[in-house]
Amino acid sequence: MATHTVIFGPQGDQVDVPTGTLLVEAARQANIDLQQPCGGQGRCGRCVVKVEEGAIRQRSSLRLSQEDLDKGYAPACQAVVEGEAHITVPPQEKIERRLTTDRVVGDVQVPAGYEPATAQSIQRIPLSLQPPSMDDQTDDWSRVQRALRQQADIKEVEISPSSLRSMGSALREKDWQATTIVDTRNWRQPEGTARLIDLIPGHPDDDAPMWGLAIDIGTTTVSVWLVNLLSGEVKAQVAEYNQQIGRGEDVISRIIYASKGEGGEEMRGLVLDTINELVKRACLRAQADAGEIVKATIAGNSTMMHLLLNIPAASIRLSPFVTAINHLPILLAKDVGLNIHPQASVDCLPGVASYVGADITAGVLSSGVDSSEEVKLFIDVGTNGEIVLGSRDWLVTCACSAGPAFEGAGVQDGMRATKGAIEEIWINADTYEPSYRVIGGVKARGLCGSGLIALLAELFLTGVLDKGGSFDTSLETPRIRKGEHGAEYVVVWAEESGHGEDIVITHVDVDNLLRAKAAIYAGFTVLADKVAVPLQSAEQVLVGGSFGKYINVEKAVEIGLLPDMPWEQFQFLGNTAIQGAYLALIDFEARQRIQEIAARMTYIELSADNSFYEAFTSASFLPHTDLKHFPSVAEKFEQMKNIQPAEVCAP
Amino acid sequence: MPIEIPKDSWAGEVRTVSFGATAENGGTRSKTITVGGEKTLPFLQFEVPMPHPPVIALEIKDRRPDDWSSLLLETWGDVVDDPGEWAKAAEEAGADLLQLTLSLTDNEGKPAKPDDAVAAVKKVLEASALPLIVMGPGQAEVDNELIVPIADATKGENLALGICEDKNYRTIVAAALANDHLVTSRAPMDVNLSKQLNILITDMGLPADRIIMDPTTGALGYGIEYGYSVMERLRLAALQGDAMTQLPMMVTVGTETWKTKEAKVGEDVPEAWGDWLERSINWETLTAVSLIESGADIVVLRHPESVRRVRLAIEDLMAVPEPA
Repeated sequence: MATHTVIFGPQGDQVDVPTGTLLVEAARQANIDLQQPCGGQGRCGRCVVKVEEGAIRQRSSLRLSQEDLDKGYAPACQAVVEGEAHITVPPQEKIERRLTTDRVVGDVQVPAGYEPATAQSIQRIPLSLQPPSMDDQTDDWSRVQRALRQQADIKEVEISPSSLRSMGSALREKDWQATTIVDTRNWRQPEGTARLIDLIPGHPDDDAPMWGLAIDIGTTTVSVWLVNLLSGEVKAQVAEYNQQIGRGEDVISRIIYASKGEGGEEMRGLVLDTINELVKRACLRAQADAGEIVKATIAGNSTMMHLLLNIPAASIRLSPFVTAINHLPILLAKDVGLNIHPQASVDCLPGVASYVGADITAGVLSSGVDSSEEVKLFIDVGTNGEIVLGSRDWLVTCACSAGPAFEGAGVQDGMRATKGAIEEIWINADTYEPSYRVIGGVKARGLCGSGLIALLAELFLTGVLDKGGSFDTSLETPRIRKGEHGAEYVVVWAEESGHGEDIVITHVDVDNLLRAKAAIYAGFTVLADKVAVPLQSAEQVLVGGSFGKYINVEKAVEIGLLPDMPWEQFQFLGNTAIQGAYLALIDFEARQRIQEIAARMTYIELSADNSFYEAFTSASFLPHTDLKHFPSVAEKFEQMKNIQPAEVCAP
Repeated sequence: MPIEIPKDSWAGEVRTVSFGATAENGGTRSKTITVGGEKTLPFLQFEVPMPHPPVIALEIKDRRPDDWSSLLLETWGDVVDDPGEWAKAAEEAGADLLQLTLSLTDNEGKPAKPDDAVAAVKKVLEASALPLIVMGPGQAEVDNELIVPIADATKGENLALGICEDKNYRTIVAAALANDHLVTSRAPMDVNLSKQLNILITDMGLPADRIIMDPTTGALGYGIEYGYSVMERLRLAALQGDAMTQLPMMVTVGTETWKTKEAKVGEDVPEAWGDWLERSINWETLTAVSLIESGADIVVLRHPESVRRVRLAIEDLMAVPEPA
């Protein structure tokens, strides 16, 4: 048989192999170890190489987009050598990708064409005042007002008693050279009275920053960005678990906790501690003084907003599910309890309903759904999955209670996405043996959301689970066994795990995950049905929430969590809530847009909708009862069935 | 002026399902039961004639039942002590086919044994040549334990075996696959759940024309509206072309009817309720006829008089009026 030379770059190793040799085998002979977690079935795409030139035939290209194929990429486990070839092996993926808290988010770009002088509502105005004299006995405050009118065209301005107390000395300290920091407008008074935040002696350097905060209070994670309001630049990004977690994992249990005794005040204290600690950390990093932070914009779900201010939130939990307030007035930092300038403006962004809060309106703003010509679907997956469908002409929204399963709670070996969590997993369809990747590259201690989604998809496609989510206990593997709660699959044996115990996924876990994903998908279908827009006609699916950043779209589609659309149509935006809060912080027009978004969004209460239950049962299946919704998964499932040895043959 | 009756036409149709193997097909049954094949809603003969009328099964047990109404026990008499005799009596009562429901325990309260279950089935097959449905007692593990040896021992007879449910279907489906039997798929009154179970069963390689679905129901006054509506929606989905709902439906009317208070209790009830036996038979007949109109292809009854009355109703419903 003819042999061919295959050259592997960039190292340049070369081997001679006969016609028909798989590229992975040729690579092995060239001492290149290509990872094949799926067992060489062309499903995982981890062994993809680039064929620079030469005769390579691809048996299957299940994993690759047309664009990748055009560029010459091929899964090495599916590529057969038919002539001389030159192959480039991409560097093998780095294992450790992230740590949970304080993730370094990519550099944030100040929006193109951003003009702080006109867009920023807070202005720092240096004033040169005429000192008083016997000829001009105008009082100090009128003198400042007059200067503001003449030098900055600010017609009316308010001042607080505490500022009045310090005004006189501040004016005189630098011989009537002073600087005012003025909040010129807010959502309630776009053209109205300005408010003096501070009056400081002298004139600062032009490039001395003026600080502001964008804050997102998530149920799980609180994020804070420290921003120079004079340029719009983000100078520090910090995040930490919301300390309220210790009083309940989800919003419901926190509302219950806050309703009892001093619980409300305790919850407020916990989230303030979290934020203030983060502010301190951000200031340290940017060498800023927290007392010079003059504005904060806050996004967060409606419950978090209530708990921040200790506004009773019980009505959010109980039918007919109303909030105390969806859109708070501008507050002062000293009243909220933020350890920044006491007179700083605190702007809590508007929500729509009990379960569609300011995190979503901010998310819609930053994802641009509200200005899109085409219909887009925006989802924020967390304990609650919030969904927005629409365009610049209309917006509908709903919230589905997915439960905390995807955040690792309610699942026996579930955990948050921290060190030791399995975040990706592949199961060999012949041996049912898993291979997986653990965050931090340590021994596994459990499974996080993305790991659970991947696991569910793999168990389904390899036939360990049937479409109804039941384990096939007749398969020949010790990993499927009878546990305390019925059938279970052992993902990691005790001797290989980080805590010396088996890591398993049980029948009950699978049911919980199925329900969670069904709730979210049912939300999509009900929302789409309501406006008679086919889900598939959405031009793009925008996935927000830090959870969304790490899920594998393909697997999420395989289990029927996300709609079956080409990968190119999915876009992962990360934490859209804080991005929206940031835009609102630096740009008054963006702030006004959020208000319009909140007003424009039509909220659909699923618990009052007859079609939800039907949609939910229909989605409580892998991937869905109606396979028409999931054509690509149906195809893959058929292919997988053909790969597997038929266990029972029809007579 | 002649009146033109508008006619609907549908994209889909119900699959035709047959079971019970005669001698020429390698079995010992006297006939084959064929149901399904509907191309429109039930009894709309002017649209498309209904190819197979609904059929009536009588339910018998492998031993004297502990929980059946005394009215039924009196009616059947001593035959209930012998499944063979009971089968013969049921055939004489006019059933199209039989359903043998296995008991969870034997006469002494001990767990049912596979050998005894096989023996009971054989007795029934010898005593009556009607096609047969065999149902386990309804506890997953016991069902599997009893139905598998029965499937093996009756290979070639082409029986319908149950109970397949979403959490327990593999074993029975595999046994049916290996021995040329059919299965019944039972789901709790929900269109999606019925459909899901049919998908699971066909995923194992059993052709859809070897499945009879049992959407379950409630008796008259006990949720029949819900059962009726689910069956109607299943049938509408089938006619609209949804493949996994295009299966004939069976309903266990007897089981549901004879556990109602109206059928169970003869004393201390309002006088207006009338004669106990008559009331019970009416209850079973009305439940059956209602569900036949929602699309049931097989109704499983318990009382011989109900069989006679339901049969008359089916004949009336099947009649094609002479064109005026």
